[in-house]
Amino acid sequence: MTVHLRIIAFLWIGLAALLLSRGSSFAQDETTWFEIRSAIIGESVPEDGAERLSLVAPTRAEDAAIVPIELRVRNSEKEAGRVTKITLVIDENPAPVAAVFHLGDGQTTFDMTIRVRIDSYTFVRAIATMDDGRLYMAKAYVKAAGGCSAPAAKDPAEAKANLGEMRFRVFADRGDAQIQVRHPNYSGMQMDQITRLYTPAWFIEKLEVRQGEKTLFSMEGGISISEDPTFRFSYGGTGDPVIVEAEDNEGRAFKRTFPATGS
Amino acid sequence: MRWQQRLVAVALLAFCSTAFAENSPPAEPDTYRADNYRSPVPETLKGGRVLTTNEAETIWRGGSAAFIDVLPQPERPANLPAETLWHAQSHDTIPGAIRLPNVGHGEIAPETDAYFRNGVAAASRRDSAHPLVFFCRRNCWMSWNAAKRALSYNYSSVYWYPEGTDGWQDAGLPVEKAEKGH
Repeated sequence: MTVHLRIIAFLWIGLAALLLSRGSSFAQDETTWFEIRSAIIGESVPEDGAERLSLVAPTRAEDAAIVPIELRVRNSEKEAGRVTKITLVIDENPAPVAAVFHLGDGQTTFDMTIRVRIDSYTFVRAIATMDDGRLYMAKAYVKAAGGCSAPAAKDPAEAKANLGEMRFRVFADRGDAQIQVRHPNYSGMQMDQITRLYTPAWFIEKLEVRQGEKTLFSMEGGISISEDPTFRFSYGGTGDPVIVEAEDNEGRAFKRTFPATGS
Repeated sequence: MRWQQRLVAVALLAFCSTAFAENSPPAEPDTYRADNYRSPVPETLKGGRVLTTNEAETIWRGGSAAFIDVLPQPERPANLPAETLWHAQSHDTIPGAIRLPNVGHGEIAPETDAYFRNGVAAASRRDSAHPLVFFCRRNCWMSWNAAKRALSYNYSSVYWYPEGTDGWQDAGLPVEKAEKGH
């Protein structure tokens, strides 16, 4: 019987080796990051995000055009220094800097979930910039492909009709809220099915969310953010109205004011 | 006990070989492939000649054929803000190959068609009998489509090298950084 088991074990090892050798062509490597990093963070060397910054992403995405990425910031109460900015980078996307978030003052914890396009198997990384200049980095490897060129889910006429509409929902029990801006957020890499030409890039370039006078967060966005940009973020709520302002790369501005409890 | 061991071994081996056998290649279609470009390719190209890595190497060493790499490459959207970082993935190709990206889609815009015609005309020195070798990567229909398209332009010595840069590199043959397409 032991011989019997040994043979099975041997075969399974062989099988595992075969699988591993086949997987090696998809090796997770950071060549691209070393090519682009100086353009993004200069010569600074980020520390490991550890407890201060983490990034959660699916290992394999169901739909490469809408991959949820969660960023979590935990400012230390003991240590000095706090996170003021988070840069979200998708190494293998042609426009690797997906978004830059600026955090409002006085936040000790901040979570943000957004949905992005992923063009090919890639590391997704977040770099937190502290007010004292230090950097922290967290990363995850995501298997997804074709997200930048995937055709839009909504047809152009429908997208235009609802352009700039917004929704603000509060999930008090979870301590967060969600903002959605209706915008096709065309990547510029999506082919028009009739002309076979690329639909020009058209996307939300700036977004700012305030409550009363206080900025909750602002963002500079790019073509890697999914259609109908959606942001889920930590939200306590002071009772003041919430103002959302957005602007796209064609200079169209959108502004809505919502009650603190959502609409 | 011995026969049981043998039985288990045989069963597992059978399982392994069927689970990992490559799917048999699809039959050659009459039209261009328009989706799932990275999937098993046919073994033939009507009107053209299919090359193994060895044959491609011989032709390459002979130096008389134009090698054309059609691996697609995202184009920077014209209206992207100037300060936006754009990073084309680096790509190794067969030394001396001409890069003509994005010409292997199932349907192409008239602008892309003109770009491809001009590219091939230059590569062939305007000689319709000049040997042309089309490739991209392994299991990449874009090279099959591009070779088929070149045949439709009435080039008479069209070669298709389905193993592409993957097969080339696996055989230990030299590569160089691809010139960026334009």
